[in-house]
Amino acid sequence: MNSLSTLLPSPTTLAALAKIGLLIGGLMTAAAYLVLLERWIAAWVQDRRGPNRVGIPLTKIRLFGLGQPLADGLKIILKEDFTPKHVDKVLYNAAPLVILAASLAIFAAIPFGSVLPPLNIPGLPDPVPFLVAPGLDVGVLWVFALSSIAVYGVLLGGWASNNKYGFLGGLRSSAQLVAYEIPLGLGLLGVVLAAGSLKLDTIMNAQAETGIWYAFAQPLGFLVFLVASFAEAARLPFDLPEAEQELVGGYHTEYSGIKLLLFLVAEFLHMITAAFLIVIMFLGGWHLWGVTGSGNEVSWAGAFLRFGVLSAKILAVIVFFMLVRWSWPRFRFDQLMNLAWKVMLPLGLANLVTVAAVEEFRPQLVAALGAGPASWLAIAIPWAVFFVGWIAAGVFTPSGTDNRPIRARGPLDIEHDLLEHELAGSR
Amino acid sequence: MIAAVLPPLSPGVLLAAAVASAAASLWLLLPRGTENVAARWLGMLLGAAALAGFIATGRRLGGLGEEAVFLTVSLVAVISGAATIVTRSPVYAAIWFAMALTGVAGVLLVLGAQFLGVATIVVYAGAILVMFLFVLMLAQPSGLAPYDRVSSEPLLSAVAGAVLLGLLTLTIGRLSAEPAACCAVPSRTAAVAGEPIASKPSATDPTIADDPLGNDQIARLGAELFGRHLLAVEVAGLLLLVALIGAVAVVSRGEAALEADRGLLSERARG
Repeated sequence: MNSLSTLLPSPTTLAALAKIGLLIGGLMTAAAYLVLLERWIAAWVQDRRGPNRVGIPLTKIRLFGLGQPLADGLKIILKEDFTPKHVDKVLYNAAPLVILAASLAIFAAIPFGSVLPPLNIPGLPDPVPFLVAPGLDVGVLWVFALSSIAVYGVLLGGWASNNKYGFLGGLRSSAQLVAYEIPLGLGLLGVVLAAGSLKLDTIMNAQAETGIWYAFAQPLGFLVFLVASFAEAARLPFDLPEAEQELVGGYHTEYSGIKLLLFLVAEFLHMITAAFLIVIMFLGGWHLWGVTGSGNEVSWAGAFLRFGVLSAKILAVIVFFMLVRWSWPRFRFDQLMNLAWKVMLPLGLANLVTVAAVEEFRPQLVAALGAGPASWLAIAIPWAVFFVGWIAAGVFTPSGTDNRPIRARGPLDIEHDLLEHELAGSR
Repeated sequence: MIAAVLPPLSPGVLLAAAVASAAASLWLLLPRGTENVAARWLGMLLGAAALAGFIATGRRLGGLGEEAVFLTVSLVAVISGAATIVTRSPVYAAIWFAMALTGVAGVLLVLGAQFLGVATIVVYAGAILVMFLFVLMLAQPSGLAPYDRVSSEPLLSAVAGAVLLGLLTLTIGRLSAEPAACCAVPSRTAAVAGEPIASKPSATDPTIADDPLGNDQIARLGAELFGRHLLAVEVAGLLLLVALIGAVAVVSRGEAALEADRGLLSERARG
């Protein structure tokens, strides 16, 4: 107990710290360059050139504008960090920290390196898996829990700003995030049911073994999860929390300098998380037919191939996120809520019931039809449900596109009318 | 470490002192309408002393682990719990409560109960407390209501809480200590912090043959819930369904009441 060696962190702890450092550094860099990518895509969609000037400092080399993130980062860090007088100081400072910490901690459960063979480092008792929290049995729930913690950052940021735009943005955002957590969970439950595990690793392996990605086996679940993760990441068409035209900047109206940067980075991290989850849970993770194989024992070359496939898929999903941003107008708040509770929730439930039924009767199907036709039928049934659900949603949804003003008469209206009548009577 | 610094008192004396100072601290800290800075500082000091006393007692009784992570998260939970009830602002109380829940979830994670830990965050911190905050922020945008500034029965509640804490410490400490030697460190805490509990060999303890915190604990939990406790699960599900129907009924009755009011209005207008 008293020797020096116990005071030093053990090699296992050091390895964990190294992994955390690598992860945070990599994520921050990725977020910075994704901002650049987003600006490029925006420029492309709008037929502009976009940022293409900043290259290596003090030279004339432009490098297609690849220096832009560095310049942007420096600018926003060096800006004045102004705290208005009317804010609640403690919560105002805590909010960006909460949201960024929660968004970063999510990645502890995300398997980057299940694709790499364990690395033997001398001095370490065990091979080091490329995952920050190995052995976390509840990976999916962990992601879910921490993304619900991130709501606090938004809510507190809006409240502590003591500004009506910020407050409205915070309220809108928390209502939206809480509402869309339910379809998100329902979409996720279908995958968990089919894979029989909450471990993200196992879910990827299950898809690789059968070769059927869950996006094909559960189209309805994929749709619900995709829409809900757009809403959870507060991307257009769900970016009501910070609708610029209505709320200035939403919950971060009063923030500036590095605190604003923390909010913006956290937002991007939410998008990266969503892309990771979509790829891992519905698009097969590192699996690609005929390229990556499906076993767990891989060589280093195969491992890098899988890593490349995983990264390419994630990048593709992120590009999809960015293209959607410039393709859709923003929802109105009642449309948003209608979509969550009256469309996505029933569709998610339908998906869950379908998946449960298919998984329950799969052995009987295989016994009756043989393995091949049974698996085709197990795909066909969810697709049938998908189209039926789609048509039903189209026919029976409340007309959320109606733009005529709707105003329900509340108790106050009645009181008002009663008062007027009484006044009229007394006159 | 604290046990080594303190003079060798018997656990009973330590515990009594800790309970007394916890009660006094809570009584001083609970909001009573008057602001007295000196009393608050004294309360905080006494609270710190009470915490140290409880930790020392736990060490004496042998029920407290040595892991730094465990100590940290449990201190976060306890201090945030105390702050929840002594703070003046409802929004801050909700935030402290969220901190307390995070601490509890951390304790559960350290103990290896991953599902419970994560479920605590998802259900309480993620859903229920966000609703609390939502309502608090909407209900009192300007300052505090007078009834939020005083706690009713501060003395009784402080004493009752502290005594309950003491009794729990005593019982749990006695239970987890070996019956022969009260001050021996239990074998559970011998594991080094940082090692996942699931991979720990459990051959020393014959009762962990069917370890509920083992490798596939979710599967075990599910089998347990839908095996032995099927009735409880079904009853809970039925209860939730009834609550759901009740909520819908309340909403539709509200609309019916509005309609009735309108009818009344037109009657009055006619009369």
